[in-house]
Amino acid sequence: MTDKVYYKVGRRPWEVKGHPDGHASRQRSRIPFTNRHWLKWRDVHNPKTLQRERVLVDKKPLWWSIGLSLLLVITPFLPNSLISVASIFCIYAAINILWTLIVGTAGIFSLATLAVVGMSGYIAAAANVYLGVPWPFMLLIGPAVGLAAGAILAAPSTRLDGLYYALLTMGVAEICRVFVSQLRALTPTGGAITQVDSFIPEDWFLQRPGLLLGFGGAFLLLLGALLVWRLVNSERLGMILRAAKTSREDEAFSEAVGIDFRRARLLVFLISSAALGVVGAFYAMYYRSISPTIFSLDQLLLLFAMMVIGGLGRAEGAVVGAAIVILIDKGLIELGPLRIILVAAIMLLVTIFAREGFTGSRDQFRDFRKRKAGERRAHRTEKGGEAMPEEATEILDKQELYYRRFNKRLRERLKLMVTPELIEEHRVNPLGHHSDALARILNYFRRGEMADKYVIMRLKNGEERFRIMAVSGIKGMPPRIVDDREYDALYDAYHAVFLLRINDLLES
Amino acid sequence: MTNVRIFGYCDPLSARMGEPVDFMISAEGADEAKIDLVRLVHGDFNPEGPGFIEEVIESDLPSVLPVRRQYTQNGSFARVVDDNGQLSPQSAFTIHAFIWPSTPGGERQTIMGSWSVNSSKGYALGINPDGKLEFWVGDGKSVDQITSDAPLVPKVWVMVAASFDPVTGEACLRQISVQNSWNSHIGLVAPFDHNSHVVETLRVQPVASGVDFILAGAHENNPERGDFVSTLYNGKIDRCGIVKRALTSEDMEQISVGTAPPLPLAYWDTTFGFEDTGIGDTIQDTGPHGLHAKGVNRPVRAMTGWNWRGREDSFRLDPSQYGGVAFHDDALTDCKWEPNITWIPPSSMKSGVYALRVSVGEKVDRIPVIIRPEKPRAKIAVQMSTFTYLAYANERLSFEAQIAQAITAHTPVISADDIEYNKLEEFGLSTYDHHSDGAGVCYTSWKRPIINLRPGYRMAGMNFPWALPADLSLLWWLEHAGYDYDLITDHDVHREGKAAMEPYKTILNVTHPEYYSEKMLDATEGYLVGGGRVMYLGGNGYYWVTHPCPDDPACVEVRKLDVGSRAWQAEAGEGYLATSGERSGLWRSRGRAPQKLVGLGFTTEGMDRSEAFERMPDSFHKRAAWIFEGIGAEELIGDFGLALGGAAGVELDRYDLALGTPPHTLLVAASSGHTDNYPLVSEEISYAFPGRGGTQDPQVRGDMIYFTTPNDGAVFAAGSIAWSQALPCKGGDNNVGTVMRNLLNAFVKDGSLPGSAYTGEEKHWR
Repeated sequence: MTDKVYYKVGRRPWEVKGHPDGHASRQRSRIPFTNRHWLKWRDVHNPKTLQRERVLVDKKPLWWSIGLSLLLVITPFLPNSLISVASIFCIYAAINILWTLIVGTAGIFSLATLAVVGMSGYIAAAANVYLGVPWPFMLLIGPAVGLAAGAILAAPSTRLDGLYYALLTMGVAEICRVFVSQLRALTPTGGAITQVDSFIPEDWFLQRPGLLLGFGGAFLLLLGALLVWRLVNSERLGMILRAAKTSREDEAFSEAVGIDFRRARLLVFLISSAALGVVGAFYAMYYRSISPTIFSLDQLLLLFAMMVIGGLGRAEGAVVGAAIVILIDKGLIELGPLRIILVAAIMLLVTIFAREGFTGSRDQFRDFRKRKAGERRAHRTEKGGEAMPEEATEILDKQELYYRRFNKRLRERLKLMVTPELIEEHRVNPLGHHSDALARILNYFRRGEMADKYVIMRLKNGEERFRIMAVSGIKGMPPRIVDDREYDALYDAYHAVFLLRINDLLES
Repeated sequence: MTNVRIFGYCDPLSARMGEPVDFMISAEGADEAKIDLVRLVHGDFNPEGPGFIEEVIESDLPSVLPVRRQYTQNGSFARVVDDNGQLSPQSAFTIHAFIWPSTPGGERQTIMGSWSVNSSKGYALGINPDGKLEFWVGDGKSVDQITSDAPLVPKVWVMVAASFDPVTGEACLRQISVQNSWNSHIGLVAPFDHNSHVVETLRVQPVASGVDFILAGAHENNPERGDFVSTLYNGKIDRCGIVKRALTSEDMEQISVGTAPPLPLAYWDTTFGFEDTGIGDTIQDTGPHGLHAKGVNRPVRAMTGWNWRGREDSFRLDPSQYGGVAFHDDALTDCKWEPNITWIPPSSMKSGVYALRVSVGEKVDRIPVIIRPEKPRAKIAVQMSTFTYLAYANERLSFEAQIAQAITAHTPVISADDIEYNKLEEFGLSTYDHHSDGAGVCYTSWKRPIINLRPGYRMAGMNFPWALPADLSLLWWLEHAGYDYDLITDHDVHREGKAAMEPYKTILNVTHPEYYSEKMLDATEGYLVGGGRVMYLGGNGYYWVTHPCPDDPACVEVRKLDVGSRAWQAEAGEGYLATSGERSGLWRSRGRAPQKLVGLGFTTEGMDRSEAFERMPDSFHKRAAWIFEGIGAEELIGDFGLALGGAAGVELDRYDLALGTPPHTLLVAASSGHTDNYPLVSEEISYAFPGRGGTQDPQVRGDMIYFTTPNDGAVFAAGSIAWSQALPCKGGDNNVGTVMRNLLNAFVKDGSLPGSAYTGEEKHWR
């Protein structure tokens, strides 16, 4: 046992907290058409001061607002090349969010995300270029195609297991790519449809106002994707899926408890596919063209990298991942092929060190700290000994701390009294007049706390057969059996309990 | 194999021959059960005694009975039957209450409302799982709510109010602190802010719930079980009501200083209806419609209210400070099962303890019932201590009380039935247990299955029978020794007074007549003054001030306070019985120490071993020497027994002139040699100093005394719970039995008692 070191504990809070006045009236406003408040402010009593404090329990909306506003405010001041990086970031972030819905929320491992975007983009563009449909209608054709594609892709999703389904959807993307690149009508452009009309006037295209307008559109697209995310995840649909998450392996179970799990999954898939269709149409308009690269494997892998780096299953993961990958891929274009290596390296590092991508690192860090604290505490505190200052911060009833000290010292004294003669004294006469030492030891045992306190169980009424159990100390929770030894005299059972307790005492 | 469970109880617990007894049975895993009637002859399987004996009795009962599962509503609440939907206002309304929540947080609790958990219709004010006040409304499709800012602090009074206006959808939820230096668990120095004022526009309009308005719970339905009440509330509620308009902030503040709101739709004035003798179960609505709230499972009344200021310690001094009504989610005073069979005991039978034996395969339950003759027959009556039986009903000390093993000096010996009862948590608590919020249990009743009334049951903490099963030892011996006896009960004596005792030449107390009412003390005193003869054969008797509910004798109330061996302690100001208006606690604190009646009173308890009695010099005085006829001068009396091997043990009583033992009392025997696990009881300790255990303190002992009362009456008292359990040893023929025979033979005779002539002044040569 090393010498004890008493570290000072206590921390200044950095968090900004409100100090509400309970007498003041507070009007709580809600997000229109929902029961939700704008921000999740909650009042708590600070356990250190008992004073009331108002804390923001869910800080995510705050971070989102800050992040998105920064993007919106800074972008207009950036050089042209970076404006288009920002726009591409928005588009990819939108795609990524919708994909996260499919993979994370619906739990369908589809790799046909870009294929859906591409298909919708192609058909919307074709309608514009060849049928002369005005551009605003592209934003309707896109989701219609997305929905149809989603419906087709959804059909096998409940039949095929994860890996096979992923391969199937990858195949779909490849078929699309081969199909458009072999279309005779598109051969001159290498499979691309060009001259697509757009919300960006033709003479602004690739000019600063056009870029800014493009960014504005892409930003709205990102907001739209976030809205879809929020609606799906926070309404009944997402809640159903979250409830079923623990039993995803067992759909039959989910259905038995009244959750229509399949239907919810498919619905999420269809909604996301239609939204991806909008992205597709936007994509064609933003570039005023669409080419088969959208179906290519490297694009898909880039998207995959975003997801892995950011963290699967969360919107912030999708956006942060997109930001990192786009910044490297499009922002550091001078680096050439090296940047692809860089993305791969980051992806590798993240998969090795982070459990759930960048955005999961905070929880991971907390878990790590908790584990470390546990290890250190186990090292610093002796079993059944006094609490160290850090442990004391977690014990509400401070008298407990004194009991620990007292009982530890008491046990040290009692241990010295345990002799073979004393044990024999108890064996001969477990009840009745005892020596001072035995009486003191027994009294300590009998006063022990309820949790895991030994009792004797009479196996059958009227029969002298006993077994030793320990009560739970929790209302309604039955006692546990200590061991399977049976005693056919009550005095033997009394003595067996005594020996168990002596053992516990000497071990402490 | 299906798991079969059978439980049952009867009502009443004791009946006269010719009066019907209903048996309520619940069974799982079986749809019929075999029944027969048995007479309980001896209740313990200890090989030193006669063993477990029951005798099958011919009866006109069918041999097979259809049974089914019957459900039990746990938790106390108050129900307002609202068939006309008067409490489902379609216009603006406000509900308000004073509350003292004891366990906010964890599970949702409903303080008050007209709310259907199943259909999500109606409105309610409650506490959400985060421990915050919440007002919620539902239209059957969705639920909307407004939540208070300030977290509720356990056991601190706040005034709460929620208003709702369906036109604007605006809801206002207020929480106004009414904490003072007296009324709450913590004082004003703790810097909590209990106030909150939130205004919010809700998107849902409440529709009529179609169910009852409930205080401290909400209506739920289960196809198997039917209607029941869930989301129960723990804590106190004081004056509350509904107003048919959205009250302003100022209006709410007015309520919080004690002004009842004008023109209420309903106003449950919890301070209304107090009488000198207490208050009943119904919380009166003093509003225009008289929509009274009927308490279920005995919400505890006569508790301090939000405005309690400590000067008045009883509702009798100022009812307006006693509006608190305490609700508990685990209270149970009536299972309300349907009777399966009714039995009318015929007058041809012997007075005794009988049981309906219900069995399915191996599983057997015995439902005991005490039968008293239509008219007194014998010269001897045994007063079965039904109050005590109820006080200990289903105690869980071995499972829940940390100090239990230290008190009993034993490792408990539990049975499978103990584990089952404890696990089920369905059949309520004893006055030795605590509710889930830590409050002591003050009500207990026989309208529920009670494990420790079963013959053959041993109290886990000490591994010997307690109360009824132990008392069967006395009955077995009376029968063995050839004495005819009638049984009467505490309830009979309480109800009929002296008249229940007078027909008998002598009345025997059983092992533990601990819980007594004023009427019982008066009856005993009157009986003794009138020439009756009492054999007090127990320990720790006439101890707690107890009273049955005036409208339901099945349920008795006790509050443990200030001194005595108390499993809990009533909160300040809450020591008076709601059922009688008298101060509870120990009788000795109210000038009626048991010594004044039977010469002895509680002095020590221990459960490791019992000792024997030894004759004291007074036993050689001719006034009492006849009691010891056949017993040697230095013979140990009762160095054997089913309760820890001696006649003096478990709980012991002592002679004390300072506490009112009649001055002419002869101390005829006493026990000695008790271990230090017999400490002097707390009510005897004014200053604490070491050495108050059996090996050092001379007050730790059991006494045996004798004194005469007017008109040839007398008291013999052997102050020990173990006394009667020594009787069955050695085949029933032993020196404890000899003392008993000498006494009984004399006590059943009319006229003067043996030794009564020796009244002269002593003129000794030696």
